[in-house]
Amino acid sequence: MNSANMRSSSLLSRFQRYLLPIVCISAVTAVFFILRAVLDTTLIALLYLIPLGMITAYWGLGPGISSALLTFLVFNYFFIEPYYLLAVHQPSDVVILIVFLIVAVVISQLVARAQAGLALATTREREATQLYELSVALAGLHNDHAIAEILAKHVQAISQGEAVELNLVGAQPFVFHLPENNSLTRTPELIVPIQAARGILGQIRLWRAVPAISSGERRLLQTFASQGALALERAALAQAESRARVLEESDKLKSAILSSVSHELRTPLSTIKAAASSLRGKEVGWDSPARGELIAAIDDEADHLNILVGNLLDMSRIESGALKPKREWNILSEIVGSVLARMKHSAEEHQIEVEVSDNLPLVPVDYVQMQQVFTNLLSNSLKYAPVNTTICIRAYAEEEMIRVQVTNQGPQVPPEHLERIFDKFYRTTAADRVTGTGLGLSICKGIVEAHGGHIWAENLTSGLAFNFTLPLIWDGAPPPRLPIDMETE
Amino acid sequence: MSNTVHILVIDDEPQILRAMRTILTEKQFKVTVASRGEEGLALAAANEPDLIILDLGLPDMDGVEVCTRLREWTQIPIIILSVRDSERDKVAALDKGADDYLTKPFGIEELLARVRVALRHSARVQGTQSKVVRAGRLTIDLAWHIVKLDEEEVKLTGTEHKLLAYLATNHGRVLTHQNILSNVWGPADADHTEYLRVYMRQLRKKLEADPERPQYILTEPGIGYRFIADE
Repeated sequence: MNSANMRSSSLLSRFQRYLLPIVCISAVTAVFFILRAVLDTTLIALLYLIPLGMITAYWGLGPGISSALLTFLVFNYFFIEPYYLLAVHQPSDVVILIVFLIVAVVISQLVARAQAGLALATTREREATQLYELSVALAGLHNDHAIAEILAKHVQAISQGEAVELNLVGAQPFVFHLPENNSLTRTPELIVPIQAARGILGQIRLWRAVPAISSGERRLLQTFASQGALALERAALAQAESRARVLEESDKLKSAILSSVSHELRTPLSTIKAAASSLRGKEVGWDSPARGELIAAIDDEADHLNILVGNLLDMSRIESGALKPKREWNILSEIVGSVLARMKHSAEEHQIEVEVSDNLPLVPVDYVQMQQVFTNLLSNSLKYAPVNTTICIRAYAEEEMIRVQVTNQGPQVPPEHLERIFDKFYRTTAADRVTGTGLGLSICKGIVEAHGGHIWAENLTSGLAFNFTLPLIWDGAPPPRLPIDMETE
Repeated sequence: MSNTVHILVIDDEPQILRAMRTILTEKQFKVTVASRGEEGLALAAANEPDLIILDLGLPDMDGVEVCTRLREWTQIPIIILSVRDSERDKVAALDKGADDYLTKPFGIEELLARVRVALRHSARVQGTQSKVVRAGRLTIDLAWHIVKLDEEEVKLTGTEHKLLAYLATNHGRVLTHQNILSNVWGPADADHTEYLRVYMRQLRKKLEADPERPQYILTEPGIGYRFIADE
């Protein structure tokens, strides 16, 4: 409907408000005129009050008063002698006329006031309901965007506007349009700021030219805006609280790290200190066999210490996102081989089976970091699996990825903990049984994920398997096929 | 050694300097120390040591920069010291002319082995090149392009032979990927690490008893390769 149409229809309705009462009065007058012979003048005056009251009730105070005046004239003209003249002969008729006019006007006003009161009450009730619905919808929302959406939808529902836009300012500005493709270019008819204690959080913009926005609607929308402001404030407080909680947790975690780390660091340090001081003193003779053992202990524990510090560095790098793999096309079997060669001594009490074909496609990985992954998975298996059991490393190519599995015959992990074993400082068994920082598996997870892969653990019928995948596609390119020269010299 | 070998150690950590001085002096080396890059450069120019041990993490200048400045005027062998996880720096220093590297913490045997290799290499560069390299069961005749495992000749392709010859000529030294690629394949192929991976695998299959645990061609993780020959 265009606005010209709307304007003419509103004119028409205003015209009707005054025309219809006239029609009404005329009809009643016609009836009374016919019955003039049998009806007393005073009775007619009384009977006229009925349609007048109804007119006021129907069309309001303006038509009511004007109808009262009209009736006053008509009554005088048709029913008061001399007939068909606007003149009064009998003084008593003058009294009737004046009383009639007063009563008619007073009744009109009373009815109109009652009507207005009723209308106001209805509006208030509707507003209260709408407000209630809004606050129910906003309750429990902790997300600025969701709050903006709900608010905009409710504004649209009550205003029936052409478009509603909700702008949030602040750290993360956000605009929500309703309808989504708002093509209106003119300035909105109503802008209501969303004002909270900490300042203006945004504004509601409403486009609705016709009918014009009434002061009641304006007030209601302002109430909506303050409801929205409250919800946004609440969300901000909730976020602040959860941030505080996260900080507190990370604080707790840091003290856990510190205590675990200092304990772990102190163990090799104690060994080194004890061995070095006894070598320095005179307790151990130059050619005593203990001498060699003490020296070996110092050497081993220093290596152990180095690994611990390395793990801590890796972890902090993973946490800060600074762990960037230096990818190159590598042969997985070579990486596995180098790790096994390095761990030869610690793996002496287990059988290690390797099923990693050197015909697998080249994998785009950081050689050193991948060594770290295999080292950590292997040392974890060596730590928990009973001696003389078999640890198996397998790898096979799947579509666009390599899948690696390290299985051991160690204890199973309760299913609900299978994911948590990759958390920092998580241990399945009591901490005193097994040494280590509790970082090995979480470092694996960090490295594998930095390579775009995925790592998980699963229970086997007898033992535990670590699985991880590595993408074979690097920068959109598959593993290279190489020019291999076959000539011999 | 008859003539005292003079080693310059450039490191900013006093504990490391103390340990190095003690150990190297004990091994009959003459030791000079510097704790800053500029000081090290000045001492190197003044004393012309036989070998420089250089820490990459110096307070006043980048270790790689020290390497570059030294190489502007001298071929004194340089062994760099650095911490774990700084492969990029190590590779940069090696490509700028450093001869070898050691990752802290290191064992003293490792340090002495590196020192021996570096000194021998510089002697080799100045003197005559040995034509035959022996490593365990392996004999590589560089002049005649013959490779023998025990007494049996090993058939190598042209590229394999070129690669093995380059490794053997520089035996004992670490060679970065880029160094090997640009010397064997040419500078245009310096980034194709995958060539190296594949050819090294082929070479190891032909030469090593257990190609997954090589004895002769060792991988230096994240850096390059090193060929181990008999002393």
